Amino acid sequence: MSSAMQIMVVDDEENICEALAAWFQKDGYWVETAGSGPEALERMQQKPCDVYLVDIKMPGMDGLELLARLKEKQPDVDVIMITAHGSIQTAVEAMKRGACDYLCKPFDPDQLSLLMERVIASKALRDENIALREQLAEQRETIFEGFVAQSETMQKVFSIIEDVAPSSAPVLITGETGVGKELIAHTIHTHSEQSYGPFVAINCGALSETLLESEIFGHERGAFTGAAKARRGRLEMANNGTLFLDEVGEISTKMQVSLLRALEEKKFERLGGSRAIETNFRLISATHQDLPQLIKENQFREDFFYRINVITVPVAPLRERLEDVPALADHFLERYVQETGKRMEGFTQRALGMLMSYSWPGNVRELRNVIERAVVIARGRMIGAKELTFLNTPGAECQLGTLTLKEVEISHVRAALEACNWNISRAAKQLGIDRSTLNRKIKRYHMTRP
Amino acid sequence: MHTNQSKQTDKALLDLILLGHVNETAVSIVAANLQAIMGLNTDIRPVLDKPDYAYVPGRNQFDAAKIIKTLCSITDGAPLKLGLIESDLCSPILTFVYGESQLGGKAALVSLHRLSAEDPAVTYQRIAKISLHEVGHLLGIKHCWKTTCLMKHSSDLEPLDSLSLYFCSACEYEIKRHLETLINRDI
Repeated sequence: MSSAMQIMVVDDEENICEALAAWFQKDGYWVETAGSGPEALERMQQKPCDVYLVDIKMPGMDGLELLARLKEKQPDVDVIMITAHGSIQTAVEAMKRGACDYLCKPFDPDQLSLLMERVIASKALRDENIALREQLAEQRETIFEGFVAQSETMQKVFSIIEDVAPSSAPVLITGETGVGKELIAHTIHTHSEQSYGPFVAINCGALSETLLESEIFGHERGAFTGAAKARRGRLEMANNGTLFLDEVGEISTKMQVSLLRALEEKKFERLGGSRAIETNFRLISATHQDLPQLIKENQFREDFFYRINVITVPVAPLRERLEDVPALADHFLERYVQETGKRMEGFTQRALGMLMSYSWPGNVRELRNVIERAVVIARGRMIGAKELTFLNTPGAECQLGTLTLKEVEISHVRAALEACNWNISRAAKQLGIDRSTLNRKIKRYHMTRP
Repeated sequence: MHTNQSKQTDKALLDLILLGHVNETAVSIVAANLQAIMGLNTDIRPVLDKPDYAYVPGRNQFDAAKIIKTLCSITDGAPLKLGLIESDLCSPILTFVYGESQLGGKAALVSLHRLSAEDPAVTYQRIAKISLHEVGHLLGIKHCWKTTCLMKHSSDLEPLDSLSLYFCSACEYEIKRHLETLINRDI
């Protein structure tokens, strides 16, 4: 039945050893017997078992001493003490010292079966937990290594991440759209005390105010029209983990008040509810907006800003760290080559030159999309200028000396929209930004369809 | 599974040994089921005395392990022995046992004491199931996870009653294989 489990019965009475061994063998366990503590320890050196059934009363080394020695050599071992009715007190003492349970002989067959089922289930959970922790530790290393950046500015960002991750202080990540703010938030979570808890992300710019409120706080049944069932909010889901509020600048000042209360008191109520729900999470926020400026314009609350901005992680736009472009391009090339199964070796010098002289308004996300598109359309083994011709749209080349950033952005966004016949989804994809971001830009720059 | 083995040899492979008075209908039913379900030629041996040597006074029960040792010491007759007793059985560690058996060994034992039900048909079914289960162990078959297989461990009467009177295909195959080995060895 459970062939992987190895059991040792330790008892000075031979008939007890035989009876238990026979019982376990029929269940498919691999069973050893030992007539004394020293014999059990000697056998353990040769072949450790998963579970030890140890009689408390044995001449020489008694069960309690053997328990201590077994735990010393193999701390995660399960030891079940066997006792007579008169010595239950000792059995209880043994449990305080680390035995997982005890049996009073003679015991019911049912009792023995149930106990073994429990021990097996608990061992399986422990093993799974160890495996998951190892997997997570492995992922931690990989995720940190997965960051592709050689520039000094990004090295500073990594250094900040390493310093702040282990604490539980709120972090504000600032930077333009597409610089990888969520990836950084995830990395901080993975290296934090909360890494074994959930990472719950929400894009505050993607939802209307009412929906966002319901999404963050959850709601009770009947809280509003259409609330047919009660629903947990992200604050509840993030308990013991990390809550990532992306585009935090988009949260209304009214909701900032409610969130501030939840952050300070670590409790909140669902919409339409009166019961306070406790929650404990680490907050990481991100924005592409200038929050101090929004505070001056009364669009963002100062108290909420100081609550979320204990540590700031500023991420530079790609155009300010163009030295990262070749490594990032190689990284994305490798990824898409693997995905598509194409055989490609790299970039021509001219193509690299084009990538390095482009202003990347959509930052790393745009670079990723450009490489994906180039891999899809490429016919040879190298990505050349031909595969990147779509970068040569008006205003696409870096003209930092003659144009302001805003002018470059307006020009590039307009070019993308015109190239896609004002199809917002396609244009957003080409720019490497979300639809909502593109809509905001269109609104901000008062662009209209000709 | 049926009586392929009996076609190969007329010799009994198992002796039913009655320890003290045992309900005759129960004995016949056990023998018939061993023959029909396991294909095991069975002889019913003359009644032996109640095994007082195995009596445990403090518990008013009989020590199953001691009786099995005695059954093993019987050298004549069939290679496998199944003892039937009406008294209650126990082991040094367990408060009671319905039956006991040597895994891949020579002798097994079944008590009728805790198997009675209001409906005699249920009682006889229980006796047959426990006997088939213990003889399965004698042939080296371990407990099975399948919920309806006779080799599934039943720690109580309720799960025992829910079992059908059949082995699962895997256990059936193993029983057949072990029986063939036994027949070839015995011939």
